[in-house]
Amino acid sequence: MKRLAISAALALSSAAFAAGGTLVYGSGGQPVSLESGNITDGNSIIVQRQIYDTLVDFADGSTKAIPGLATRWTSNKDATEWTFTLRKNVKFHDGTPFNADAVIFNVNRWWDPKFEHGYRDSGKTYEIWGQLMGGYKGEAAGFLKSVTKVNDYSVKFTLTSPVTVFPDLIGSGYFGIASPTAIKAQGAKYGTPASKPVGTGPFTFDSWKTGDRIVVKANPSYWDAKAQVDEVVFRFITDRNQRLNELRAGTIDFTSDLDPQAAKSMKNDAKVDAVLKPSFNVGFISLNVRNEYLKNAKVRQAISMAFDKKAIVEEFWGDIGVSNASFLPPVLSWANSKKVPADYKYDPAAAKKLLAEAGYPNGFSLDFWYMPVSRPYFPSPKDIAEAVAAELSGIGIKVNLKTKDWAQYLQDRNTAPYFDIYMIGWTGDYGDPDNFYSAYYGPSASDDSGYNPKDLADLLEQGKAAKGQSAKAKIYAKIHEITYNAYVRIPVVHSQPLAGKAKYVKGWVPSPLGSEAFNKITIDGKK
Amino acid sequence: MTAYILRRLFRMLTVLIGVTIVVFGFVRLIPGDPAVVMLGERANPQVVEAFRERLGLNKPIFINVQNPMDTQFFRFAGQLSKGDLGAGIKSQIPVSDELKARFPATVELSIGALIFALVIGLPAGIIAALNRNKPLDNVAMTVSLIGVSMPVFWLGLILVYLFAVTLPWLPPSGRMDPSINFDSITGMNVLDSLLRGRMDGFLSGIQHLILPSIALGTIPMAIIARITRSSMLEVLSQDYVRTATAKGLNHRTVVLKHALRNAMLPVVTVIGLQVGLLLGGAILTETIFSWPGIGSWLAQGIFERDYPVIQGGIIFGALVISVVNLLVDVSYAYLDPRIHYS
Repeated sequence: MKRLAISAALALSSAAFAAGGTLVYGSGGQPVSLESGNITDGNSIIVQRQIYDTLVDFADGSTKAIPGLATRWTSNKDATEWTFTLRKNVKFHDGTPFNADAVIFNVNRWWDPKFEHGYRDSGKTYEIWGQLMGGYKGEAAGFLKSVTKVNDYSVKFTLTSPVTVFPDLIGSGYFGIASPTAIKAQGAKYGTPASKPVGTGPFTFDSWKTGDRIVVKANPSYWDAKAQVDEVVFRFITDRNQRLNELRAGTIDFTSDLDPQAAKSMKNDAKVDAVLKPSFNVGFISLNVRNEYLKNAKVRQAISMAFDKKAIVEEFWGDIGVSNASFLPPVLSWANSKKVPADYKYDPAAAKKLLAEAGYPNGFSLDFWYMPVSRPYFPSPKDIAEAVAAELSGIGIKVNLKTKDWAQYLQDRNTAPYFDIYMIGWTGDYGDPDNFYSAYYGPSASDDSGYNPKDLADLLEQGKAAKGQSAKAKIYAKIHEITYNAYVRIPVVHSQPLAGKAKYVKGWVPSPLGSEAFNKITIDGKK
Repeated sequence: MTAYILRRLFRMLTVLIGVTIVVFGFVRLIPGDPAVVMLGERANPQVVEAFRERLGLNKPIFINVQNPMDTQFFRFAGQLSKGDLGAGIKSQIPVSDELKARFPATVELSIGALIFALVIGLPAGIIAALNRNKPLDNVAMTVSLIGVSMPVFWLGLILVYLFAVTLPWLPPSGRMDPSINFDSITGMNVLDSLLRGRMDGFLSGIQHLILPSIALGTIPMAIIARITRSSMLEVLSQDYVRTATAKGLNHRTVVLKHALRNAMLPVVTVIGLQVGLLLGGAILTETIFSWPGIGSWLAQGIFERDYPVIQGGIIFGALVISVVNLLVDVSYAYLDPRIHYS
């Protein structure tokens, strides 16, 4: 018995010894702002996730909604009224209580252009609210009609149209709940380095040295799993090679968004592990149906068959890319149609035949635009474009490879005369197929392809209103079939963003949604 | 002298006004605007237009016939007249706060780079001149030629790979070990750690400063070495040097006291220009070494088309260069008593 007690005490003391320390994250840059709801960049969101909680959270490493600051949520039959039951006995880091008033205050800040604590006159835009919720208060396109307090721990959202995915939307990492007291006290500067952001999250804000680092400390009274380290330092290291160097030199403990090629050097390093984040993106080639050749579906089909996607993905992504015929990343594959083949067929001979049938036996020439920057879905756009171009020339399509500055690229793809063919992609915000499809198909989509049939737009609307995964799956299967046969957006890859960590970093489960709390991470054995 | 300085200050003001107008216009000529960059893949035309409207980017830039005061420029000029450079579009952080926070980092790095450039460049130039056309001269000049022609980003990455990753002697980037924390006074970590009596901070600060200082200081080092050499050669052939030698002074005194001081005039001009450029922010070096100075911030601002950031950064850079030029001109009078300003 005595021995047992001693070993238990030893175990306890070693556990106490293991906990604590400083965890250093190599961030891809300085956050734009630590004000929730006002930005979308990943460097901001990852820090915000440590300070703030959202009403709805997501299970580790998945897009499955689980209770966050709300313990449960229910809707009426047609999904136009959503009632969230809030967690009791939760306090903001400044000691003020979390309750229905706090939720309504935050929502009004994002939603209501006239809300006095929104500080829009200081240039704050809350753009992401408009994008995910259709628009702002007073705008016809916005689907939030009202937000009301049922009691101190219950809030009701009334919508103008059915939105079955509303919990995922309000739970997305953008909408962390901040302390109304702190916001009122700090005014327009809230979220800048000169402010002190206050949430209910696992870490409390400590300091922000402009251009250099942010430090957050463990929140000792966190309502959920308490942090295993004393503090997390976010160092801003914009160059991805430099982040790898820092990781290998041991000056940071973990980092994200590394060059896919870095996987090899990490493999040969005994001190670090490569970490593959779950894929939640799509990189694709977009064809413009306004073009005199591309308006012919046979030509588009020929292009889809002319290049060997599998070989290209193997070459440029190695193990960290998946090639298939879906616009949706693998975690949403439940929404794919079983009638659609696993991937587009690679058959240059048949492609050439199709071109001849379309009336172009000798081919033609097109401009092919590749992006000037690396994105998680296209890490080396130029090389990939060259590979595709070489294959297209094989069936007689002469491709003029072009690129331009990223800002101009984004602008010109949507402006006449538009790009003939170009590379682009999407990283999801929340775990619903609509988040992917509606970005590039339907009435609110990008205007680059000139392809917007009514039946597809109707199906997209039905998808938004459908309740339950099986009802949604049926609708999105049809959407998958239509888009597959349209040959307008040809998915090339779903990549797994490459991250890295020191071997002693344990318990890090990256989220497909891009931000996860660091409270379960331990650094046992860090020297 | 005072009248000269006042005149120069007035001229500086007109230069700054000119720079402001030109920068304001040119920044908006760069294709792609902040709304598009901020929205990224989300940038579909309706969303971009709504965003531009909210930021006031849909207003005329310089001329508005109906309402002449309702232009982007007048709004900016109005702010500027109150000393307000505006706030970053993306971050909402006032540009003046950013400059205040980042300039000390740039000054610290510039001092590091300058020390490296002077400590290596000046002796190399003098030694080369004294050993004209001998192997030492050839070695010094070849090294300086390599220094001038080496791309900074390449040199930076090589230095990091060699001295931070392969041989883990120095930290790859940043300014200070994350575990070291103390309140800053001047914003220059090395100086602050001394003032606070933190030797750990001082050592860490110096360690972090070495690689970026070498990367940034290599080109100025090479330029200073070459200018010192040619200026020294010219002075060494002057009559008064020969006289000094003839009257029996030792070689060391002749070189250091008689020749070097007179040879310094063009060298000081070059050093002044280099200091101005260094303080304006070293875009590549700061970006590679994650150095939180003006240069990395300006680079980010340019990529993101953050107009207030670009304007503020360039106007500030122009101000720094003007002030340094003025100081260099004034220093001539000290170096060469024959120069008088009237």
